Amino acid sequence: MIDIGIVLEGIWSPIVFILVIILASIVAYWLYRMGNSQYEKTEHSGDPFISGNRPPGDIRKIHVGGDNLFWGLTKALKDYFDPLIEGHTGKLNDYMYWVVVTLAVVLVYIYLVV
Amino acid sequence: MNFDIFVHSPAFILGIPLLFAFLTPLVNRLSEQLRNVVFGIGLVLTAFFVGLMSYQVLTEGSWLYVFGANQPEPQNLLSYFYFRITFVADSFAVLATITISITAVAAGIYSYGFMKDETGLNKFYTLFLLTLAGVNGMVLTGDLFNLFVWFEVTSVASCALVAFRNYRGRSVEAALKYMVLSTVGGLLVLFSIGLMYGQYGVLNYALLTQSISGTFIDKLALGLLVVIFAMKASSAPMHMWAPDAYSEAPGSVTPFIAITSLGSLFVLFRLLFGVIGVNVDPSVSGTLLIILGVLSMIVGVTMALVQTDLKRLIAYLSVSQVGYMMMAVGVGLATLNSADYQNFGTLAMKGGLFHMINDGVYKALLFLSAVAVVHVTDIRSLNKLGGLAHDMPYTTVFFLIGALSIAGIPPLSGFSSKLLIYQSVYLYSPVLAIVALVVSIITLAVVGKAFFNAFLGPDQGLAEKKVPSSMLFGMGLLTVVVIIFTLFPNLIVSEIVSPAVKALVGVMP
Repeated sequence: MIDIGIVLEGIWSPIVFILVIILASIVAYWLYRMGNSQYEKTEHSGDPFISGNRPPGDIRKIHVGGDNLFWGLTKALKDYFDPLIEGHTGKLNDYMYWVVVTLAVVLVYIYLVV
Repeated sequence: MNFDIFVHSPAFILGIPLLFAFLTPLVNRLSEQLRNVVFGIGLVLTAFFVGLMSYQVLTEGSWLYVFGANQPEPQNLLSYFYFRITFVADSFAVLATITISITAVAAGIYSYGFMKDETGLNKFYTLFLLTLAGVNGMVLTGDLFNLFVWFEVTSVASCALVAFRNYRGRSVEAALKYMVLSTVGGLLVLFSIGLMYGQYGVLNYALLTQSISGTFIDKLALGLLVVIFAMKASSAPMHMWAPDAYSEAPGSVTPFIAITSLGSLFVLFRLLFGVIGVNVDPSVSGTLLIILGVLSMIVGVTMALVQTDLKRLIAYLSVSQVGYMMMAVGVGLATLNSADYQNFGTLAMKGGLFHMINDGVYKALLFLSAVAVVHVTDIRSLNKLGGLAHDMPYTTVFFLIGALSIAGIPPLSGFSSKLLIYQSVYLYSPVLAIVALVVSIITLAVVGKAFFNAFLGPDQGLAEKKVPSSMLFGMGLLTVVVIIFTLFPNLIVSEIVSPAVKALVGVMP
């Protein structure tokens, strides 16, 4: 334990938080209305783009799938994710293996420490 | 002798679902409509008696309910302890049974619409009520042998629920894995009970608490009980059965199966604080809980990040949330015999137990809204889902509320309990608080991915049918509870959670 000299105090009120969110939303909407009144819609307004390029196919049906999100993160942490995913084999033998291993480690810990 | 229904309520909490479990198939021979009504009455009556017990405990204090005694609260308790079945009606049991009841009622109502095209529903409702009786028995019982009995009832009934759609091979496979692990777990629990009984000749929690002296055999029993109940609570690295069972069970009972895991966690905490853990060395048990908790948080959330199956994604998040509870209560247990318990240990306990009731509700909401998506589209892959907010506006809102709550985004209820956990575990070890915060951020990324993939984007016309009104009602009920927990966290902590912490830590009545 580290004595950091912090005393637990403060306030958390969800109702006040919600009131602040409502107030902020009203202000945001007011700003949006101010900007929106001067907006001029052109032929390609609102169209999606990827890195400045118009994506192929019907742009109205473009939707990023589950595999595409966070692919960069999982690729960067490949050394962590690969063994983790491979460890989840779906085999009952492996499930039992982990129960036995955990039991052994816990018992060794208890007998060594207590 | 006056019959005090409040004092007898623990017996009804067990007796009502058992009675209605066997009444349901009989009534089914008369009418399927009547069967549904009887099932609903069984659920609501059980919840009603949970309410009565809660009122009595919170206003008059806790009591030991002794079955077969000449009065429900006998004066000479010791003469009954050796032979009688006892239930502990205290604030901790109140917290547990309220969590179970809310989920059971919501899942039961949801089942009406979800299961209406299935056959063999008389058996389904029987198994549902047997599971409810089993998990209530587990958290209420005051002796080890009955703990084993209710553990087995819960395991058998919930395994049968997982395998209910036996025309799907994957359901049967998931149930087989769950059954084997539960059976091995049950045998080891029975073995540890035998070790206790062989030494002390008693099985009652209160007598064992006085008797256990931390012998070589006590340590073996402690290790067995910690590991098996942690496994049943889906703690890493023994969590692998949970995504299989949760994702292959009929969707309407998925949160209910998850609640049986939470029931095991309630039992684990009861045993560690009230029976064996404090007598062996609380700091050892506390450290074990912290280690298992941190492991569950990290493994659960990172496995969720790479899932593309919506139900498995939420199942892994469930593993991660169990980690928060184990870590927080572990900090409370580790500091129990030191001054730090008063400084921050008790706050960690409050955070952990508040997170249990929170998690039980918002996780159920998240599961049920995901199941509604699968029910309507017959698609589970996040690579194929999209744009459902156009066709399923209510389900979208329900999912969003559950998702933000599980990610601990203010002002939702998950934030309130996580804030207590962050604050308290920081004072024990800043590393734990950092891990908890990082896991929360990844959880937000995971639920953000699920919400984005399933609900946002252009309408793809995937919704083949409407969500039945009973399913919407079940999700709506849970949403109302989440909103109540969101708006009044102080009330929940002061009236339900704090007494539960005192009951868990204090001497048995």
